[in-house]
Amino acid sequence: MHFAPPDPDILSRRDAIIAALKIIVPDGVVEATTDLSAYESDALASYRQRPLVAVLPRSGDQVAQIIRYAADAGVPIVPRGAGTSLSGGALPRADGILVGMGRMSRILEIDYDNRCVTLEPGVTNAAITRAVEAEGFYYAPDPSSQIACTIGGNIAENSGGLHCLKYGLTTNNLLGVKFVLPDGQMISLGGKAPGAGGLDLLGLITGSEGLLGMVVEATVRIIRKAPVTRTMLASFDTVPDAGACVAAIIGDGIVPAAMEFMDRATIGAVEAYNAPGYPADAEAILIIDADGVEADVADAIARIKIHVQACNGQLREATDTLARARMWAGRKAAFSAMGRLAPDMICMDGTIPRHALPRVLESIAALSARYGLGCCNVFHAGDGNLHPLIIFDAMKEGELATAEAFGADILRLCVEVGGVLTGEHGVGIEKRDLMPTMFSEAELDQQHRIKCAFDSGGLFNPGKVFPTLSACVEQGHVHVHGAKLPHPHLPRF
Amino acid sequence: MARVSFESEIVDFVRAARADRAPFEIVAAGTRRGAGKPMFDQKTGGELPVLDVFGVAGIVDYQPEELIITARPGTPLAELKAVLAQKNQCLGFDPVDWIVLGGAHGTLGGAVSTDASGSGRLRHGAARDSLLGFRAVNGLGETFRGGAKVVKNVTGFDLPKLVCGTFGTLMVLSEVTFRVYPKPLARATLMLRDLPPKAGFAVLRTIWKSALEPSGLAYVPGSANFPGLDGIGQGAALIRFEAAEKPLSEKLAAARLLVGEAEEIEQGEAVFTRIGEGTLFRDCDLEVWRVTIPPAEAARIAAALNAPLWLGDWAGGLLWIGAQPEEAPRIRALALEAGGHAMLLRAPAARRAALGLYAPQAPALAALSSAVRAAFDPLGLFNPGRL
Repeated sequence: MHFAPPDPDILSRRDAIIAALKIIVPDGVVEATTDLSAYESDALASYRQRPLVAVLPRSGDQVAQIIRYAADAGVPIVPRGAGTSLSGGALPRADGILVGMGRMSRILEIDYDNRCVTLEPGVTNAAITRAVEAEGFYYAPDPSSQIACTIGGNIAENSGGLHCLKYGLTTNNLLGVKFVLPDGQMISLGGKAPGAGGLDLLGLITGSEGLLGMVVEATVRIIRKAPVTRTMLASFDTVPDAGACVAAIIGDGIVPAAMEFMDRATIGAVEAYNAPGYPADAEAILIIDADGVEADVADAIARIKIHVQACNGQLREATDTLARARMWAGRKAAFSAMGRLAPDMICMDGTIPRHALPRVLESIAALSARYGLGCCNVFHAGDGNLHPLIIFDAMKEGELATAEAFGADILRLCVEVGGVLTGEHGVGIEKRDLMPTMFSEAELDQQHRIKCAFDSGGLFNPGKVFPTLSACVEQGHVHVHGAKLPHPHLPRF
Repeated sequence: MARVSFESEIVDFVRAARADRAPFEIVAAGTRRGAGKPMFDQKTGGELPVLDVFGVAGIVDYQPEELIITARPGTPLAELKAVLAQKNQCLGFDPVDWIVLGGAHGTLGGAVSTDASGSGRLRHGAARDSLLGFRAVNGLGETFRGGAKVVKNVTGFDLPKLVCGTFGTLMVLSEVTFRVYPKPLARATLMLRDLPPKAGFAVLRTIWKSALEPSGLAYVPGSANFPGLDGIGQGAALIRFEAAEKPLSEKLAAARLLVGEAEEIEQGEAVFTRIGEGTLFRDCDLEVWRVTIPPAEAARIAAALNAPLWLGDWAGGLLWIGAQPEEAPRIRALALEAGGHAMLLRAPAARRAALGLYAPQAPALAALSSAVRAAFDPLGLFNPGRL
């Protein structure tokens, strides 16, 4: 992966930049090299870079002041929530200010009558549910990092989770934000009322990976917990049978709360890890949650049973809470289980049309043999989101590059069958250079013009998402600061 | 007027308009032309040229097991709904014709561009919540895609969100892909009679806050004399559910436990359709507003407005208001103060020109919206000034 060298002019101004930030946040500037190491990577740990400086604001006003200062001084900004991004979205820059939002973690208002919670962006995903569960409510999007990841990061990445086929991604559960634009102005988008009343900029900034500004307050929808949830495990002798069963269930109008696919390699790995009791001889299994009122769940289970049998599968229903937890334990430990097989792994995240699953899994197996690296597949089967886990050893010469090439081939395959590069992890730096496989030059230019409409100076999370950064001058509204073009060191078209 | 049937013809038309710097109006069935600011040719003061995209029609791809349908925007809504109904599926945002404007037989593209969501929006969200992808032509005369044809995608900016409800001011759509939802075979509507607005909306919110997944929650005041709803006294709270047969009975029973005795009514489907389409307001000579507000504010704002003709939908999140012209400033002010929006849906052209579809935005937001619009259409060719 190619990274532009840091701007020597900014590096030479480091002391002045630190001094300016200390005036804005006296007790929240991190400058010592050892302390900055804590921020040098996110969950895409193959890439590391210490930031120029980190600042930890306590309020939206402080964020706005930091951003205004950075705009004036021409210094890049990298926003960071909990640093759990799997795509390198929070990877710092040597010449950039890292803005850590962890201290803005207050829940500001719980409004049951309008079914929403207003909170600061550093609140963790799981804390939202904890705050409202006593009243029987929860916050639906549940990325697997939910005990650590923040709502600000969820908004930046449009995070999903196991339950998003039925309950939607972050974007479908976000009602409003206060947002600081790259020039330091604060705007409000959305709120407790439905509808945008103009362009849906709330929808645009959700999933924009920190390229358009920073969220300093959010209002999210909460949902009443379903009275009944039951869990089933279906096992199959062949992958096409499992794929056909998924299609049959969805085609029959059943929307399971969750439907997770695991292949043989994954089943073997998790059995060795925490023995959830999955059938050892199955080629593929599905773990399915049905929720709703009692009769809804009973109806869904009865119909699912018919489809599983018709697809030559066997269905087992968890009889109690303990058995449910055990069924899910294997799926939830999939990452950790793989971690035992090799020191390093990367988790891919393409989405494919569900009908392409057998073909894609076959091709991944062939690629695995060709690259000589192991790969296990878990799959949010309901929505076609595939998570191949490639296992490797970064200490071995060249193996990281091999693993990345393998991953890139998988994502090209996803695009080739009509799918996309990323279903929920984001593009970040990880898939940045693959964007042209999915988008034409005109399409990338269209997206880049939107970036310029927000951030004409190109200071927000530069180097992420888009493969080549051209100046906004081509779009007719360049931001010129101090009679210099922004980022003279960056490559241009 | 230019009639087109293919994306390549849209490209040719836009390129020619760009060369001439000649803005134009985009029209399909034309059933929603009466909403938004009236447009005119800045140079001549006369009417704008029209790009008629009604012929860019037809279903491109429908895969029920993938929960996805791709169609061209000129496809009549009724045709699309019928095709989906054959597989017991439906569009999530419950698109409706705006009979209030006098127009039946609208198109899919018109419903997306105006985000014309009916009562069912309550369950699966607005158009933006289920539009997965599109093809379109931008103001440079380039074809481009936004989103994709899969239900879960975060690759690049989420452009499908931006398209919905923009009244054709960003691009000319040539294809849209929607996530679709199962349409349960059984549905039922419960009604509670003789409730004043405060009690009526409280009933709706009780159901909204439950786990019963209602597909319609509306309040009709007695003063509306709503066709098909007789003897409702001060007003009626209407609660609709859709499910398979057994779960439906369980939901009805559970709802009654929550809100007390409620009768099941036969005409529920017809009533909800008329509510979504704004039929009640068709024949009056009032100005018609769609006011979106936090649901819990519904009774307070309805009382403050004291409109001669009104009703509430989306558990109170939407008030349909028929009002005299002099009420406009108060309607806008109340919506703003509640954190919502007052859309002027129907009024004489001069009034729409003066008031706009929505109230003016705060300066920073207005500037940003213009910049985003220019990112798609730098010369302002598409439906200039309509939004």
